[in-house]
Amino acid sequence: MIGLAAFAIIAAACAPEDDTPAASDTTGEAPATAEECVQGADIPLTAEGALTIGTGNPAYAPWYGGKSVDGSEWESSSFTGDPHSGEGYESAFAYALAGTMGFDDDAVEWVGIPFAKSFAPGPRDFDFAMQQISYSDKRAEAVDFSDGYFDVNQALIANNDSPAVGVTTLDGLKDLKLGAPIGTTSLEAIEELVQPNVEPSIYNNLDLALKDLKNGQVDGVVVDYPTAFYGYADVVVGQFPPVGGEQEYFGVTFEKGNPLVECVNIGIAELEDDGTLQELQDKWLTTDVDVPVFS
Amino acid sequence: MSYGGAGVPEIEPDLGPPEGSRRSRILGDRDGGRNVWVAVASTIVFFAVLITLIVNSPGWSAPGGVRDAFFNKELFLESLPKILDGFWLNVRIFLTAEILVLMFALVLAVMRGLPGPVFAPLRLLAVSYSILFRGVPTILVIFILGFGMPALELQGVPSSDVFWAIVALTLVYTAYVAEVYRAGIESVHPSQTAAARSLGLKRSQALRFVVLPQAVRRVLPPLLNDFIGLQKDSALIGALGVTEGLLQAQISSAANFNFTPYVSLALVFVVITIPQVLFVDWLIKRDKRRRQAGGVA
Repeated sequence: MIGLAAFAIIAAACAPEDDTPAASDTTGEAPATAEECVQGADIPLTAEGALTIGTGNPAYAPWYGGKSVDGSEWESSSFTGDPHSGEGYESAFAYALAGTMGFDDDAVEWVGIPFAKSFAPGPRDFDFAMQQISYSDKRAEAVDFSDGYFDVNQALIANNDSPAVGVTTLDGLKDLKLGAPIGTTSLEAIEELVQPNVEPSIYNNLDLALKDLKNGQVDGVVVDYPTAFYGYADVVVGQFPPVGGEQEYFGVTFEKGNPLVECVNIGIAELEDDGTLQELQDKWLTTDVDVPVFS
Repeated sequence: MSYGGAGVPEIEPDLGPPEGSRRSRILGDRDGGRNVWVAVASTIVFFAVLITLIVNSPGWSAPGGVRDAFFNKELFLESLPKILDGFWLNVRIFLTAEILVLMFALVLAVMRGLPGPVFAPLRLLAVSYSILFRGVPTILVIFILGFGMPALELQGVPSSDVFWAIVALTLVYTAYVAEVYRAGIESVHPSQTAAARSLGLKRSQALRFVVLPQAVRRVLPPLLNDFIGLQKDSALIGALGVTEGLLQAQISSAANFNFTPYVSLALVFVVITIPQVLFVDWLIKRDKRRRQAGGVA
């Protein structure tokens, strides 16, 4: 498993170099590759010669997986992983992205941050935050977002004995007690699409939401679509249509005005063009199962 | 405000010379109003320098800087109604808890003061209780009860988060307030009880009519301390997924990537504290007046 991941990372890291000549033909003075971009004069890095990434602790599957490596502050369990492992979609993506920018795996540093640190003003002790952060115009006023690295929908999970099981319409969810982790757009899906008669419960993290689901204090929890398939509950009841009609996506967030965002965008484009992004999604995320969309 | 200019005539005549001269010594109004103006000027200068320092700091007005992130007027107005909505739940929770705490803490304090070897187990219970619940952080009590009790799936055990939040706050603050009561009870001189007993009052009557009224009056300020503490700790129950003020602020904050909702909530907490402080000050003053009026004999 780890070997495979490492191979994927190395493959991903090598791939962009093949594209270099073609890419540089099409662009003018702008940096052609993510690697050139990072070597540019005024790219500030938190730690010299390394890429420092902030993410949540615990780091949840399927975004982060693998066994905890020695000396890491992250603990692995059946539902959590260690970003250092290169396993799980975001971890694998991070190493692939770092590869496009010329950082080898040893030069990727992880920092555990509370969610609010991903948008706190002032200097940061990491280059960018990567923790399933959905883009929104309002959020983009406080931080700079990279381009999307994953298009995401929201889905409802429930346990077998919940009245939510079998519901196919948004109307059918109105009288159910729903829950959502904080900081996600799951709450927006509940408030704007379901418009429930019962006040939804919001939790500081997924863990607490799942505990209440288990205790039967909520009938269902709204989570990111890939998260829904990770066995956190018995059933994936259904998925929500995009809130406001616009496709939701995850981006990494930077301190406002950080020029590194350009390099990351080039890196993401490279990974998208050579198919790595799709490959990683197929490998780490279950997204192709047919789940009905609530009507 | 009332110190402006006039100075001496403000001293109430019945305060008498000792009070008056002490006031003069503290306020130093030898020179009439001059010192008042110095005080006003130095206050203005102090805050002007402080504000200038903050406003001119590099992170204040940068895009996405402190001004935008913490003092965004539009977001303040937008988030305040929702936060007030959530805060209303805090109010209901802490009011309920405060009433329960006032009763239980008194029972606990009296239990702890029971004389005689027969009551040793009760005293031990009271002491252990106050050690346990003053020792465990409130947030942990909330977590353990809020997530643990419903998980027992016992018939008749409520599974409501709000219920367990109230229980947790009541348990913790009963321990604190019982100590406050105890301090008050022990501060009443034993001769008071002795006098009451010699008048034919039973031990319980002496406690009820002589000791407690004096004790409670003396501990009003620390009681208010604990109540304000309890009110602030009501913000912790958001951890259970109850949409109270703080969780509402967190939601708005995460949706907008902005910290202004926290400032709004902080303001709400301060605003509700002010009338309570004034009320207790008034109670204490009234009490003092009454005691001085009739207490000479």
